[in-house]
Amino acid sequence: MPAYYLEIIVVLLGLAVLTFDAVGRVEDKRSLAGLGVLGLIVVFFLLFKTSKPADPGSVFWKFYATDALAFFFKGIAILTTIVVLLMANDFIPVLQRFGPPVEAKAHPQSGFAEFVALPLFLCAGLMWMASANHLVSIFVSLELVTVTFYVLVAYLRRHELSLEAGVKYLILGALSTGLLVYGLAWLYGATGALDLSGIEGALATTENPLPALFALAFILAAMAFKVGALPTAFWIPDVYQGAPTPVTALLAVGSKSAGFIVLMRLMTPFLKSELLSGKVVAVLAIMAVATLLYGNFAALLQSNVKRLLGYSSISHAGFLVLALASAPSHGGALETPATTVAFYLASYAITALLAFLVLSIVSAARHGDDLNSFRGLAKASPFLALLMLLSMASMAGVPLTIGFWGKFFVFQQAVFSRLWLPLGVAVIGAAAGFYYYFRLIFSMYLETATGADGNPLGKDTLTKIGAGSRIAMILLALAIIGFGFFPGSILALLR
Amino acid sequence: MLFYLFAAIALAGGLGVVAFRNPVTSAFSLVASFLGLAALFIHLNAFLVGVLQVLVYAGAIMVLFLFIIMLLDIKSDEGPKITKLMGLGAALLAMVFVGMLWRVTVSLKSAPLETLYPEVRSDAHEIGRLLFGEYFFPVQVVGILLLVATIGVVVLSRRAVR
Repeated sequence: MPAYYLEIIVVLLGLAVLTFDAVGRVEDKRSLAGLGVLGLIVVFFLLFKTSKPADPGSVFWKFYATDALAFFFKGIAILTTIVVLLMANDFIPVLQRFGPPVEAKAHPQSGFAEFVALPLFLCAGLMWMASANHLVSIFVSLELVTVTFYVLVAYLRRHELSLEAGVKYLILGALSTGLLVYGLAWLYGATGALDLSGIEGALATTENPLPALFALAFILAAMAFKVGALPTAFWIPDVYQGAPTPVTALLAVGSKSAGFIVLMRLMTPFLKSELLSGKVVAVLAIMAVATLLYGNFAALLQSNVKRLLGYSSISHAGFLVLALASAPSHGGALETPATTVAFYLASYAITALLAFLVLSIVSAARHGDDLNSFRGLAKASPFLALLMLLSMASMAGVPLTIGFWGKFFVFQQAVFSRLWLPLGVAVIGAAAGFYYYFRLIFSMYLETATGADGNPLGKDTLTKIGAGSRIAMILLALAIIGFGFFPGSILALLR
Repeated sequence: MLFYLFAAIALAGGLGVVAFRNPVTSAFSLVASFLGLAALFIHLNAFLVGVLQVLVYAGAIMVLFLFIIMLLDIKSDEGPKITKLMGLGAALLAMVFVGMLWRVTVSLKSAPLETLYPEVRSDAHEIGRLLFGEYFFPVQVVGILLLVATIGVVVLSRRAVR
């Protein structure tokens, strides 16, 4: 089966959800999300059944890469969307309270079908991004993802924070799109090529590096917005906090991982050119240092868990940019930078999705997502507390979790490239990470929560967890430990 | 010579959008800017793009803008308070940008403008062939994007009927 069928199937799935909702008289709309999840699981297995392009010379393959990296990131996009749809199922009560207003006699779950269909279209966009190796397909797929996020972030229309997040994301997103187009136009002007292999050839022989570097400045600023790195990461805490929790998970994991593969593909021609690579590495190293400092130290002061996860996602972006900065060929390293970035993103995806699943259940049950909602969680629901403990340990990088290996490979990479100063900052950042991740664990296990009436919060509704979410959470937790023991099985996928 | 004239019109229009306080005046400045841009496109022999710029942007989109401005009855925009620090930062950023642009521009070898598009072609034909031939795949993705945007408009503007 040709690889591009995958995205077509995902788009058709989105259309099917909308059609069933319109004509099917679906009683319980959670079955629509179930349809999406089942379809995506099938697509995930089809990933391993794709065939090599029959005629690689045909013009289509100029736009669409089919390397191992592309499939790996398609896999991350699909898994993320599956988890997000499961979360959306548990999110219906919140949608009913704050979602688009409905007529008195309409179906009580009306407006949910779009909340399922849009992530599906977004998933197709993320998958196209994973394969984009032409400036036009990069831009078009990136815009598909961004425009879908504009809608999804502001989905809780009757909730102030969500509206605020929507407006902020729209304005800053439009600005970053403008910067990206400007940078891409200069890159085209400097090299005369639109496909990345052509750009690589032109940059390898260029005599005047200035126009390309000028383009790079704008491209980096725009892509930093997508992946959540400085200088354009300031939107993250507000938007993460305001967006509906499933959408926050999609932003944190899907948007970041797809942004990173596009960033990697865009940086490769620059890093391969002898004239430019030194400068590009310097810029990336500065970005990494600034991002690590900002993300980790701002996170120390947070009392809202969603904002905390936002700052932690900035700090993870810092580690990833550091891995990218240690790109030039260095004999002796075990892994190439692309592999390091891909592995780190996979580990981050598994860890963060588990954290968001727990967060979405706790915040729906206790009507809040600040640290207080997590106090005494270990007594109210030992299951959820244990999962959060695992996720936080993996985020901090405790050995024998998957997060440890992600950080380990990044540090190893930086050592081989002799980036001593950024490495030092990364170590300090990781240490700071231990503080704020463990503070959350501390409040779950050693403190008791008090509700508005002064009484400790009890078990209340925490036991109402959908079967799908429960299975997903257990699988993710097993993945954190399992891949923590055998990280090689993920690396094998990348060869 | 003509290039500088049209570029000046486009730039002056752009400046007007930011400088005028009355939104309707700003909107009309934007029209001037679009017309200058359209003339630049035609100057480069990109007739279709130039005409589309006038039809779609100066025509349809600006009418929409004006309708919305009049519908919401915005008199004049007070504008946010700009502190000295913000002004200083913005000026610094602008200066860095202009400085970068200047250095890059002088580093370029100049070529006569006419060499960019040496011959007049039927470019509607060309563009159509490109869109539905080589660029068929991105066009399809844009189609999905439009679908998403349509769904988004419906979801975000739905109003409860009482």
